[in-house]
Amino acid sequence: MSNELLEPQKWVERYADMMYRYSLVRVRDSEAAEELVQSAFFAALKSQNSFAGKSTEKTWLFGILKHKIMDFFRSSKNTISIDPTSDKKSGLIKFDSSGHMIQKPGDWKLDPEKTTENNELAQVLAQCLKGLPEKYHRIFVLKEIDGISSEEICNEFDIKPTNLWVILHRARNQLKQCLESKWFQTK
Amino acid sequence: MFSGMMKILKMSCEDVYPLISESQDHTLPFSSRMRLKIHITICGLCQIYKNQLAVICRVAKVIGKEDAKILAESNMKPEAKEKIQQWIEKKR
Repeated sequence: MSNELLEPQKWVERYADMMYRYSLVRVRDSEAAEELVQSAFFAALKSQNSFAGKSTEKTWLFGILKHKIMDFFRSSKNTISIDPTSDKKSGLIKFDSSGHMIQKPGDWKLDPEKTTENNELAQVLAQCLKGLPEKYHRIFVLKEIDGISSEEICNEFDIKPTNLWVILHRARNQLKQCLESKWFQTK
Repeated sequence: MFSGMMKILKMSCEDVYPLISESQDHTLPFSSRMRLKIHITICGLCQIYKNQLAVICRVAKVIGKEDAKILAESNMKPEAKEKIQQWIEKKR
């Protein structure tokens, strides 16, 4: 049943590319991004009657797309599970019984403000990112590289902020270790 | 003296290091923020660690800018668009 407030025949022309890019940033897979856009359009077409014109057509379609992305991440193969004990087990940073670092972290002698000019370091970090476990990789990229807000990430992955902080903490530690072995020890 | 001060502050490097990362993601409660600040002021190892995380964060943003350029030019395949368009025309 059609809704006079909507123009479905113009959706592809108007929104397909921007919805595709929005999805691609999140799922990092062109085929999955296309499928998400397609399923969002299909769902929108089926639920045209629910559109009352309170928001714009674009906002409404993006709302549907966001739900499709959430479903994608919530589906079993994409579920993010957090093992609260794995940080201790991973042993990336070791502490003595009083909680002090056993091994001194390497002094990179880099001013964070000036590292933005270091393209070589960016390339090494990009390589290190590929070595992260899938769940850490996805969330780190959204937060630190794509600049998506914590709230939005928690919604999309259906995780609590505390889980998000744990994931980011672990991802950063793994990247730090990788950079030390691939970059700083060779300099 | 160092360990004595640490005992008074009741915050070891092990307690502090997740907070260093967390402080990049949200504003810590006032008490944690103060304890973290004091700990980092007196602990050289945690200062180094904090600097390392700041470097990672900055470099990630560089990658992000490059990625954004590529993404800005990414469009959906014409055949995929055509398929959806045909389906919409048929169903609406």
